Amino acid sequence: MRNVKHKRPKRPYKDGKRLSEKYKNNVFRETYTFLYFKKGFVYLLFAIPVVTQLYPLLWLMLYSLKTNEEILGGSFFSFPKVFQWHNYSEAYKSGSYLKYLSNSVMVTGITMVFVILLSSMVAYAISRFRWRYGNLVMTIFLMGMMIPMQATLLPLMIIFKNMHILNTHMSLILPYVAFSTPIAVFILSGFMKSIPHEIEESAFIDGASVYRIFRAIILPVSVPPVMTVCILTFINIWNEYILAATFISSEKLKTLPFGVYTFVSQYSVNYGNIGAFLVMGALPVILIYFFLSNQITKGMVAGAVKG
Amino acid sequence: MKVLKVPARTIAVFVLPCLLLYVCLVFAPILVSFYTGLLQWDGITTAKFAGFANFKDMFLHDPVFWPSVKRTLLYAVASMVEIPFCLLMAILLNRYVRKGNTLVSIYFTPVILSVVIIGQLWKTIYDPVSMGGMLNGVLIFLGLDSWTHNWITEPKIAMFALYAVSLWQYFGYHLLIQYTGVQNIPDELYEAAKIDGADGFKADRYITFPLIIPIFKISIVLAFIGSLQAFDLVMVMTAGGPAHATDVISTHMYNSSFLSFKYGYGSAIASFLVILCLVFTAGINTIFNKLEKKFS
Amino acid sequence: MVSKKMKATSTIALSAALVLSMAACGNSNNESKGATESKGNTATNAPDAGTPKTENGKKVTITFQNIYPDPATPAYKMLHELVDQYEKENPNIHIELDTLNTDQQKVKLKTQAASKEVPDITIVNPAAQMKPFVDAKLFAPLNDMLDQNGLKDTYQSGLLDYYSFDGNVYALPDGNNIEVVYYNKELFEQAGIKDTPKTFDELLQDVKTLKAKGITPIAIGEKDSWTGSFLFMNILLRTNGGPGFLQDVLDGKKTFEDPAFVEAVDRFQDLVQAGAFPDGATSIDANAGGNIFKSGKAAMWVIGSWETGAIDASSVAGKTGAFQFPSVNGKGDPNEFMLAPGSAFAISANSEHLQETKDFLNFFTLNYPKKQFELKNAVGIGQKVDGDLKAAGYSDLAINVSGLFNQVKGGDLAFDNTMNPATAQVHLSSIQNLFVQKVDSAQVAKEHQTAFEANK
Repeated sequence: MRNVKHKRPKRPYKDGKRLSEKYKNNVFRETYTFLYFKKGFVYLLFAIPVVTQLYPLLWLMLYSLKTNEEILGGSFFSFPKVFQWHNYSEAYKSGSYLKYLSNSVMVTGITMVFVILLSSMVAYAISRFRWRYGNLVMTIFLMGMMIPMQATLLPLMIIFKNMHILNTHMSLILPYVAFSTPIAVFILSGFMKSIPHEIEESAFIDGASVYRIFRAIILPVSVPPVMTVCILTFINIWNEYILAATFISSEKLKTLPFGVYTFVSQYSVNYGNIGAFLVMGALPVILIYFFLSNQITKGMVAGAVKG
Repeated sequence: MKVLKVPARTIAVFVLPCLLLYVCLVFAPILVSFYTGLLQWDGITTAKFAGFANFKDMFLHDPVFWPSVKRTLLYAVASMVEIPFCLLMAILLNRYVRKGNTLVSIYFTPVILSVVIIGQLWKTIYDPVSMGGMLNGVLIFLGLDSWTHNWITEPKIAMFALYAVSLWQYFGYHLLIQYTGVQNIPDELYEAAKIDGADGFKADRYITFPLIIPIFKISIVLAFIGSLQAFDLVMVMTAGGPAHATDVISTHMYNSSFLSFKYGYGSAIASFLVILCLVFTAGINTIFNKLEKKFS
Repeated sequence: MVSKKMKATSTIALSAALVLSMAACGNSNNESKGATESKGNTATNAPDAGTPKTENGKKVTITFQNIYPDPATPAYKMLHELVDQYEKENPNIHIELDTLNTDQQKVKLKTQAASKEVPDITIVNPAAQMKPFVDAKLFAPLNDMLDQNGLKDTYQSGLLDYYSFDGNVYALPDGNNIEVVYYNKELFEQAGIKDTPKTFDELLQDVKTLKAKGITPIAIGEKDSWTGSFLFMNILLRTNGGPGFLQDVLDGKKTFEDPAFVEAVDRFQDLVQAGAFPDGATSIDANAGGNIFKSGKAAMWVIGSWETGAIDASSVAGKTGAFQFPSVNGKGDPNEFMLAPGSAFAISANSEHLQETKDFLNFFTLNYPKKQFELKNAVGIGQKVDGDLKAAGYSDLAINVSGLFNQVKGGDLAFDNTMNPATAQVHLSSIQNLFVQKVDSAQVAKEHQTAFEANK
């Protein structure tokens, strides 16, 4: 085995098939087994997190379909004897699910539109304009990532009271947008720095305005990082409940995470109902995530690596 | 490279809407907190100006404060420790799996779930065996009875149990960042290195690591800030208990402001937290700038 | 134009008079009907001529912040039925329910109070816990409203004192409870325990017996740290030989380093060491802790009598009884209880619709006892209610508990109702600590005294 090291194939990257064909006729069978052993080990390394990271979803699904006795009985890997689908209909009925859902969709939707628009504008200005205060503005935004939301609860309450927007969706959308912009500006400006400036220059020479360049050139090529921003913003806002519980009082305006949190903390009659409500609460975010997940990997740090 | 020289008005149009909103709703409130940190105030009745009394109490007399700072910093260190491992996974993933994206997406799932779900799940994992806790169940099954613990209620281990949850939850997050970073490194670089005889981890040493440093920094900074602010998870799982054994800076701030009715004091803690974040982020930046210079 | 306006004004004046006269009759139902009828007659654009705003026919929305989120509980049903009834009788009034769980509500009210945005009706805890709000003049005095329809006389004498400051009543309680020990008769039998414990040593013995049988002796959810404190205070009430320890500390007559306090800490630790509480108690929330008892997995539960209705609605209904907390080291009278005057409804001093809100709360609190009685949740309500529990089909447990009420000779309020919030928080976490490690009791006492002096 010791001499194997320098006999390793030059680049076993990515293409497993080519690798094995190449070595089928190799006389060094030891190399062959070693490679398989190593590959097996690596695949095991990949497989373990699949189990541990997907487990909560599975757990939650099973939980939501069990009876109280099965849940309290506490055996962890068990399937429910009979799938208690009625947990879902009960949770649906008692939890005002649709109302909360539509509120959440609206708040989150509007927030995302604003976050993307506003932060891409700032990111563009920071990364492409020649002006004195660009770095300062960037620093100010970066500092925002360090501010804990809970510390701003009371000042925000006073601000919103004076703006007369307490107990409206505005009182959620505004802080959500404000708290989402730092990370969005951070990701987007990183990407925009990497866009080759020849494209822009030629458009500029052709007489296109900055606004036009932004709309017709910059935004379209920035789709991958925008998707990343979308998902990160979506996850944060979709699950936020402290502001939602504090600024909204009307039942008809409340959002889903608030509903989920209240529903969970009741703990009373039926654990399965709670599980079902949790599943229904997480469903939109799971769907959107898997729908966009290929985009997110593209946009996360696009541009931060200069090749 | 900044190319466009545009009139100030255009800059204003691009920057001001967002900047104003952000400054009013994020920046101004924290400045207000710096001020309320100087007050003796329950948040309800009239406030009394107290100078730096809150800060003095905080640094000298509060038995909960320094331990919570220590736990917070440990939290940060713990979350950063997994990042090199994520990088290794990312490199392997890029090398051995053709469509790594799917795997990365799967690893990412815990990040998208709400803390309420995560908290419930891990509580049932950590539960004592009499309540069907999985971890203890598994330990007993393996014959390791003496290793069983009340994971989140024994003061000495509770905090570590919480670190573990965070590590687990954000594993996918950091892996995703590193993975996309690794993927963005052009293949030609490796091809060229191969001709020069560098390959495998040797290639990583000369190509991957130097190029991944900026990404690595992003990960470190995000992990750091995230863990300094760790709040939801602690609240859901232990609420800082038992007897402050799992209090971190942010929960201590929250409890002081809203349960002990010491809003001024809570603000002082908030100010400290923000400054701590700033100082450490600046520190991380300097270190990485040096690293980048050294490698390139 | 002018004549039209005049006409409107006169109509309003007329209907206002009608309302006043109705109110004078002292019948709440009639009053609400009067208001209803007047609404139809009035023009839409009424000037503010000192008449109550109800009369301008505009839709009035009253925000009612409450802590009854659980549809399975009688309290939830009571709230919704009364609100529906009132809205039906007063179509121009809309009651907006802001339903939160207890800890959410505490934080929300605190935040609202800081910006003087208290909802029309909110919920506060008695005595020391509501004092900061009253000091900031956030609540409206309810004296006038208490005199309407004889509401005041429905409350047990002395109860409203917990909600009064400087001669004004600022909140109306939803109950007046005592702390009792609920026990599961079946589990006691299984463990061979014949009688309920009369002394603390017997209690300890029973705890050990139950523990040996693999039964959780006492249910508790100590993540919400008031639960442990509530139990601890019961021991202190005994070791002190009677009520008033905390008051003595406040008055400077005693300190926390008093032997009675130290002894209470010691005895509490005995309970913990004997394995009385479920494993990992400090990570269980109060509700989940209660469920250990309600699902028949624990033999005892030391909690306020407000849980009687909920226990009767659970799977251990019919198998349970209740007894008073035993004497400790021969000290204390078992007929002295930890008293728990309930959470209470308060009205915002800045309410835009102060009069309407008062009218609604008057209706609500007048009908509250009757509704609770119907819903079999009348044990521990703070108001007098006509009706015989047995005849109304109440459970043996309910009758058992209401029997204990008749024995009450006096008692103490919970720690956080007596001491200011900052001291209370130190106490709560200090007691929580006893659940997870053995601590020198003198140290616990000292910790209390230091916190008390620092936050005076």
